[in-house]
Amino acid sequence: MTSKEEEYDFLFKVVLIGDSGVGKSNLLSRFTRNEFNLESKSTIGVEFATRSIKVDGKVVKAQIWDTAGQERYRAITSAYYRGAVGALVVYDIAKHMTYENVERWLKELKDHADTNIVIMLAGNKCDLRHLRAVSTEEAKKFAEQHSLSFIETSALDSTNVEAAFQNILTEIYNIVIQKAPADGGQGGGGSVSETKVIKIDDQKDEKSGSKMKCCQKGN
Amino acid sequence: MADKKSSFWKRGNDTKLPGRAQPVANSPDLRPRSKTFEEYEKDTNDAWDDEAEDLSHLSSPVKPLEFNHTGSGEFDVKFSGKKAPLKSRIKEVVKPRSHTTGGMSTSGGGTGVQHSGSDSRRNAPQDTGRIRSMSPPSDPFDDIPDRETIKLQKFGKLLAGPNTDLEQLRKLSWSGIPSSVRATTWQLLCGYLPVNIDRREETLQRKRSEYLKLIDQYYHMRDDSIHKDTFRQIHIDVPRMNPSIPLFQQSIVQECFERILFIWSMRHPASGYVQGINDLVTPFFVVYLSYYISGDKNAETYDLSLLPNSTLNMIEADSFWCLQKLLEGIQDNYTLAQPGIQTKVMRLKDIMKRIDGSLHSHLERNSVDYLQFAFRWMNNLLMREFQLRSVIRIWDSYLSEADGFATLHVFVCAALLLKFSSEIQSKKDFQEIMIFLQNLPTSAWTDDDVQLLLAESFKLKYMFADAPGHLQN
Repeated sequence: MTSKEEEYDFLFKVVLIGDSGVGKSNLLSRFTRNEFNLESKSTIGVEFATRSIKVDGKVVKAQIWDTAGQERYRAITSAYYRGAVGALVVYDIAKHMTYENVERWLKELKDHADTNIVIMLAGNKCDLRHLRAVSTEEAKKFAEQHSLSFIETSALDSTNVEAAFQNILTEIYNIVIQKAPADGGQGGGGSVSETKVIKIDDQKDEKSGSKMKCCQKGN
Repeated sequence: MADKKSSFWKRGNDTKLPGRAQPVANSPDLRPRSKTFEEYEKDTNDAWDDEAEDLSHLSSPVKPLEFNHTGSGEFDVKFSGKKAPLKSRIKEVVKPRSHTTGGMSTSGGGTGVQHSGSDSRRNAPQDTGRIRSMSPPSDPFDDIPDRETIKLQKFGKLLAGPNTDLEQLRKLSWSGIPSSVRATTWQLLCGYLPVNIDRREETLQRKRSEYLKLIDQYYHMRDDSIHKDTFRQIHIDVPRMNPSIPLFQQSIVQECFERILFIWSMRHPASGYVQGINDLVTPFFVVYLSYYISGDKNAETYDLSLLPNSTLNMIEADSFWCLQKLLEGIQDNYTLAQPGIQTKVMRLKDIMKRIDGSLHSHLERNSVDYLQFAFRWMNNLLMREFQLRSVIRIWDSYLSEADGFATLHVFVCAALLLKFSSEIQSKKDFQEIMIFLQNLPTSAWTDDDVQLLLAESFKLKYMFADAPGHLQN
């Protein structure tokens, strides 16, 4: 019952945002528990889950915050962007309105999140081919214009869910590694507990520092 | 600073704002009537004694109640004196059927409910018990049907009029309302039904036709450009609000909910529809539906096509008006930036600081912010934390108080934290704590567990109401 928390090298906080009903919670449950629920309850406030993956031989623990999509909640949920190093902005490929609202979500991030946050655009429900309302090309172009990575996913049939999280976490990892090599990252005779943790609060403190500078494009 | 605070809690809140949560110290249903614990104890005699039962294994020689927070010394209260404060004891109704459900805290030998997780309760008053001469400890179930019958008779008498005494009805309802009279009782407690029995039928007819007019007036606006987002949100939320309950998967029910929510939203533009409000309709709907279907049928699985349309319309209308009454008391939970929720979460934090300092510091140490887990508790009134039938029982108590959904609710949240205190403290880090708090192991809770939780909440609420100083400094 008290499973010992796994060891990890990095802890990255990632937020899931986007309109209500686009499938954020299912992306999360597919990624963290390999579960999908056609009738999952609406998210109230925020919900939270974690999963660790390997990146470049290191254990990266993703701490993922799933937020409520309804506008009314934004006053509260914006507080949860604090310390996030990544954001997955999700829309529903079958509902054009949810894609149009991506701009608003980007603004939301601009207003409340760290300026260097890594953002990925995810068009979910790509299994609904016959209902597609947002073309892949259009979204891809939009993502390029805004220097976002882009992927289409389906939480229902699992398409690209792993890839989406793997990509964004790798992108974050690379940025962190790039900027960190000087400060003891390789300390050969490092002590036992050399775990590097990107913590919620650290991030804020280091905001003024060079963390993830110039890295919108990842690599 | 201390002065400022004390004046906040003691005064200044008498100016009642609609929807504003009342500070615990001024809980309106307690203050005016009873200044001391003893008086309150006397006042609530009925609510506790008539159907609650002492459990044999809880019974111990009468002891004064003691609150003794040894850890930090923040908190040390004693009620001592000639007589034990009987009402503050943990009591519960033991229903034989609930023992078959294998709840978390049934004790061996089926003698009743046992307090589990003694650790988590270490800051709670010690249970004191009193052996009732009429109920021999050896056979705790024998007199239960009688007690239920007596309670039902009391309800019957009160409800029969000619004028229902609401005070009496509240007292009787606090410890649970028999399902056969729940619908009427809720409607009275909500202030939807008049106390005068001769006016009830006419009132219902009037309100129901009024609701039909509201549908005509507003519902067509759901496609208007300024309202279609609201309707879309409702339309997305309704089908997914209670996926495990078949009743709510029926499109005829979902349409009822959509109308109720949309019309409420149109009439309350200051808040409008907020996700979670949909959940709040479900207890009303189920309780009012139960009223019309025969006793052996379970409303949660009932096929609504068996019900005449006119009956469904009545259930819908009654649910609408009662939802409106409920939301009047907690409207600031849903207005911009949801100030009511912020206030309530702050209050929960204050209470926890006083009653379980070690849990509180465990949360702080691990950077767990109360808002992160308690937001949903407040926004959805714990409906995501409990089975619907438990929620209905909890609402019996909420409805029995003048502003139970705002005030008592916070204490229920506190009692819940207290209940799981040791488990939460066994979680090592932020992740573990949050995941536990988001998925509290309450799904197997029996009526008895809920009853215990409410008893604990009652104690806490009373404690703070009687000693507002506890929330100061």
